[in-house]
Amino acid sequence: MDYTPQNKQDRQKMLEALGIKSEDELFDAIPADVRAKHLNISGNQTEQELLKYFKNLAAKNKTLTSFRGAGIYDHFIPSLVSEVTSRSEFWTAYTPYQAEASQGTLQAIFEYQSMICALTGMDTSNASLYDGATAVAEAALLAMRVSGKNRILISSGVHPEYIKTVKTYLQNLDVKIVLLDISPNGSIEKATVDAALDDNTAAVIVQSPNYFGVVENMQVLSSAAKENNVLFTAVVNPLSLAVFQAPGEYGADIAVGEGQPLGIPASAGGANIGFMAVRKGLEWKMPGRIVGQTIDKNGKRGFVLTLQSREQHIRREKATSNICTNASLNALAACVYLSGWGNEGLKKLADTNMSKAGYAFHKIKNIDGFKAKFENSIFFNEFVIETTKNIKKIDKNLIKNGILGPLDLSNHGKQFKNCLLFCVTEQRTKSEIDKLIELLAKA
Amino acid sequence: MEKLLNELSSECKAAYEINCDMETDVSIPDHLKRKSDLGLPNAAENDLLRHFTNLSRKNYALSTAFYPLGSCTMKYNPLINERIAKFESFNMAHPYQPAETMQGILEIMHGLERDLCEVSGMDAFSLQPAAGAHGEFAGLLIIAAHFKAIKEKRHKIIVPDSAHGTNPASAAFAGYETIPLKSEPDGSIDIEKLKEVLTKDVAAIMLTVPNTLGVFEKEIVEISKVCHENGTLLYYDGANLNALMGFARPGDLGFDVMHINLHKTFSSPHGGGGPGSGPVGVKSFLEQFLPVPRVEKKDEKYVLNYKKSKTIGSVKAFMGNFPVILRAYIYIKALGGDGLKNVSAQAVLNANYMLAKFKDKIAVPAGGRCMHEFVLSPKAANGIRTLDIAKRLLDYGYYAPTVYFPLIVEEAMMIEPTETESKETLDKFIEILNKIIFEEAVNEPQKVKDAPVNTPVARLNEVEAARKPTLKWK
Repeated sequence: MDYTPQNKQDRQKMLEALGIKSEDELFDAIPADVRAKHLNISGNQTEQELLKYFKNLAAKNKTLTSFRGAGIYDHFIPSLVSEVTSRSEFWTAYTPYQAEASQGTLQAIFEYQSMICALTGMDTSNASLYDGATAVAEAALLAMRVSGKNRILISSGVHPEYIKTVKTYLQNLDVKIVLLDISPNGSIEKATVDAALDDNTAAVIVQSPNYFGVVENMQVLSSAAKENNVLFTAVVNPLSLAVFQAPGEYGADIAVGEGQPLGIPASAGGANIGFMAVRKGLEWKMPGRIVGQTIDKNGKRGFVLTLQSREQHIRREKATSNICTNASLNALAACVYLSGWGNEGLKKLADTNMSKAGYAFHKIKNIDGFKAKFENSIFFNEFVIETTKNIKKIDKNLIKNGILGPLDLSNHGKQFKNCLLFCVTEQRTKSEIDKLIELLAKA
Repeated sequence: MEKLLNELSSECKAAYEINCDMETDVSIPDHLKRKSDLGLPNAAENDLLRHFTNLSRKNYALSTAFYPLGSCTMKYNPLINERIAKFESFNMAHPYQPAETMQGILEIMHGLERDLCEVSGMDAFSLQPAAGAHGEFAGLLIIAAHFKAIKEKRHKIIVPDSAHGTNPASAAFAGYETIPLKSEPDGSIDIEKLKEVLTKDVAAIMLTVPNTLGVFEKEIVEISKVCHENGTLLYYDGANLNALMGFARPGDLGFDVMHINLHKTFSSPHGGGGPGSGPVGVKSFLEQFLPVPRVEKKDEKYVLNYKKSKTIGSVKAFMGNFPVILRAYIYIKALGGDGLKNVSAQAVLNANYMLAKFKDKIAVPAGGRCMHEFVLSPKAANGIRTLDIAKRLLDYGYYAPTVYFPLIVEEAMMIEPTETESKETLDKFIEILNKIIFEEAVNEPQKVKDAPVNTPVARLNEVEAARKPTLKWK
């Protein structure tokens, strides 16, 4: 089936209006020797057939009870979120170029920006970037633009795919990327930052909780950077900010992260949303769309895309970024998500994550053959356990029992040989956690 | 006027609740604790549903109106795509779950890569880039990796002045110097002018075919020859692929690298500005440089391969925007090869039908024939500008065409009807646009200058918004 509504008669009338016999004549400009041959692509299915076809494909995936995070998390998504994002007035609209006809999208993004600022304690948020990884890369570029310097210090506790993305983004630019080692307790020491700083450093980028679940002492690290006039970039899990110190509180210049925990399904790792918020003074250097409040000619409040002279459609090669399409519908999802918890509710949600992860942590580290990798560290909903057991066997056995177990960190360098990264969110019930513990104990 | 959430906020019970089925035992050392107020609103579900429903009603969308936004391919987004995209086994999948537990997802990605190769004449695709500009960026990094591998120093990219703004921005982002190329009045490339800038240090030329004025680049084979003889690669901006499916393939025209906007040509919705998907495709000699992970088929099983020694790396985390990718694949499986060809035939017919109704009365810099879109240069009476006409169209319930782009056309108005609009819809729009330009602008110019009046807000002050930015709740 296809979605062209014209019947034969209409098509005939249109051809007649053009004085041609067939649409083929409209393609005369294409030289004959480079014309396409028949496209060998299967299809032509009705809606009913498609449903069956894709149900079969869906059945080839296993939906598992997840104890795996590492950047993508299984959080509860309230019904309101999908109800709102399923409204076709939102999902079938384009980027809000005609502001007067796009107030829904524009106001929602303005509210999203406001709540990202509230959560991070920063002054200005953009309308979204693609994902957490690209947000970190854009943050590095932003710091280089602002400082005119070209050395980036990045914690090796930042998500490995984010580090890889930063390296990919910057590979043809004159820039030096320096990885900061984490200490045996799983976090970055101030001395490590101090030792790496020099006059040419544009930014220090630290993730907290880091990839290994450890909450960093961001205040100390931020101060170290700022004492040397270096921009401090915090990579944060937005949910953790309900209880942990916010980037604005420890003086971060840029706060970025993956917004997937804010009401967006895991979807095999995409589509996500990268958020970016900055301190006052950096807004004109920021990448991406920004929505601003204004008034119409009658003095009524309204919203528009603004600070547009930063952007590619105006500045072309001098733009702050090439980004155009971003993650608007996911910004709407995050907006709806953040609007319904209230301050206390979001805190309780964060507490629930910590309690359940804490419960699992204490039980698992006491199983024979398992021990805590970073015994005295503070974590949010992820933690590392070292084991003497056969990791591959554990993984297989858990999957057999419908459980997506912890992530094997063995290929993450010597330091993490025989290590497992667990994640326990509010989604896991006590009995699910107990089942996991039971299976691990039998391993 | 719809309240803002912070104005709506009250002491009521919040919409969402969480129960913890065990004792909450949380102790955070004081120096790591959040001290400041969270600053989130407090509102009941009922109030929030009304708030967001009312907001949605302030949007013009494809589901409420004809959306002839040039270069954006606002075609119908089939509902079956949405239905399937909500399947739990798709949207609950974790990117790091073992490949054997997500064979369906990998089969879809593999299948889409194969079908995109067939449509485009490329040899391999990566579905990782999250949008068109992101695919461009990946493509340019691939080009850079290629020249590095063959040890040639080339630091320039030629971009015609009629190109999308993302082209020069992506080139700069990838570390290249952009060389603008003046295009002809119909947006096409003059070979002699091209030769003048085609020096040995030019890595690639970025072209949009059909170009942004809706004209097929008739010299494309010659352009390709001249560039390749110089060792320069050809990049295809896939924004306008909806014009060519089944008629011409970028790979056959001589392009080496390209991206495709799945949220344009392949019916995935735009979502008010993303998430999109911009797969990057290459000829076989460049495949080794594609981003990782790659989806591969081994012994009838699909696997993810992260280990490719020549890869440019990753342009984002994980595999790509799977929900967008899935919708595109459903669409292709609905249409098949013949259906896709019919899409382009109808899209081009629709555009030409509209153009025919305007071309004798309104200036058309690119002439009387077009591909899937066309650009008018309406110079209405009484100093009525294209912006005024666009705003007046909103009063009639239409979204406005793309305006003031491409930059080489004065008072540009770029119209792309797509194949999914009926003759009746086109006829009505033609009638209204003519009425605005030839009746209202002549007889009631103030009405056009005051437009829009039927929208939730009247014309908004963009200058003030940028001069004194208010970018969050006060």
